[in-house]
Amino acid sequence: MNSSYFLPNFWRFAGLVAAQAIILSEVALTAEGYCNILLYPLFILFLPIQIPTPAAVSLGFLVGLAVDIFSGHLGVNASAGALSGYARAAILHRFAPRGGFTGKEIIPSPANFGWRWFLGVAAIFYAIHVFWYFSMAYFAPVYLLEKILPQAILGWILSMLVVIIYTRLFHPKV
Amino acid sequence: MYSIIQLFIRHGGLLTLVVLEVLCFFLITSYNDPQRQISSASWLKYSGTVLNWKSGWLDYLSLKDENIRLRVENARLQTQIANSRLIEVPFQDTLVRKVLADTLEQKVIRPEYVLVGARVISNTIGARDNWMIINRGKLDGVRPNSGVITRSGVAGVVRQVSSHFALVMSVLHHQTKVSAALKGHDYFGSLVWEGGNPQYMSLSDIPYHVPVQPKDTVVVSNYSLLFPEGHLAGIVDTAYRMAGSNFLYIRVKLSQNPANIGDVYVVTNRYAEQINQLQQAVKHE
Repeated sequence: MNSSYFLPNFWRFAGLVAAQAIILSEVALTAEGYCNILLYPLFILFLPIQIPTPAAVSLGFLVGLAVDIFSGHLGVNASAGALSGYARAAILHRFAPRGGFTGKEIIPSPANFGWRWFLGVAAIFYAIHVFWYFSMAYFAPVYLLEKILPQAILGWILSMLVVIIYTRLFHPKV
Repeated sequence: MYSIIQLFIRHGGLLTLVVLEVLCFFLITSYNDPQRQISSASWLKYSGTVLNWKSGWLDYLSLKDENIRLRVENARLQTQIANSRLIEVPFQDTLVRKVLADTLEQKVIRPEYVLVGARVISNTIGARDNWMIINRGKLDGVRPNSGVITRSGVAGVVRQVSSHFALVMSVLHHQTKVSAALKGHDYFGSLVWEGGNPQYMSLSDIPYHVPVQPKDTVVVSNYSLLFPEGHLAGIVDTAYRMAGSNFLYIRVKLSQNPANIGDVYVVTNRYAEQINQLQQAVKHE
């Protein structure tokens, strides 16, 4: 990774983890799982496109672990983060423009690829992340219909809304 | 080493993911109470199933060994049964030795019989004189003139041995004589086959005044050197006094049908040689 990519990603890491730990985790606690907004996966999604998959997986794990340390559910977010890091590579490969990524666009953001493309990528990425997150949080298949799926769908809708607001506000290019 | 690096280059993302997910799994189940309970309960349930499945397969694979082990065990138990009848012999008997252990008086029984388990691999019943071949021989401790029994009756007498096999004269042979007695009476006689139905033999030399009834039990007598004393031989079918004779004619139904003999035990009487020597001495006197 080029050193000029480091700072924006570092600040995103710090900012998103702080927002998740200080605000969103508290909101989630008061709503008993039905207002679980996951913003930190945006850090994983906005990693540089050219980053190697093992690095993306490891960074996903790290950002999840950071959130876990603040929220007190060690391993749950880290597991979802690592999976998202791997899933992101597959999704980007599937959504690659004709002729592949040129390297001019550094991160998969609407500023580089347009809103339509970004929403498609983010929707799939978040669906995987949120589903895995709730699967790990409940940890038993018997909860699938009763808890995991309803909360995952609700969490996915709310998270996508916040993601759109965040992206509109900051409009990241790198 | 190179191929490992190649593997990592090609599947590095997946490998990293697997390693980190395993780590996460460990973290989740170690630091979160509900997940720990779920995982330990599931572990118990599935490991139990898997272990059952595994032990079932191992049992199946070891059936052959188990069979051999059971036969050895059976031979050992049959030996004990054969020798246990000697416990009733009084102390003055030469077979019993008195040993003083501390202040306790203990009777020590000298085991008389050694049994070797074997399987019949060839058997005839239709001829005038019938033979069997068993799959134990000289190297297994089988000696000529040893009795052959089954769990439920008598089978024959070993005549010739090779290294790994032995030729057994069936009870359905005109030379085979089993020294037998009626259970409950002290009279004894010889059990011989007269031909005809292979399930029946006749017991001779029982005096006519002995009240023999059908269904009475015929066992190996204590005079037998070939078979363990008291081993079941058959049950009385019919008994009547023959005209002009002092003896009964007793038809005995064999408790072991000679037509379906499978597992047998070769009985070696450890004192047969001593007793035979004494019997030879009688002839020279």
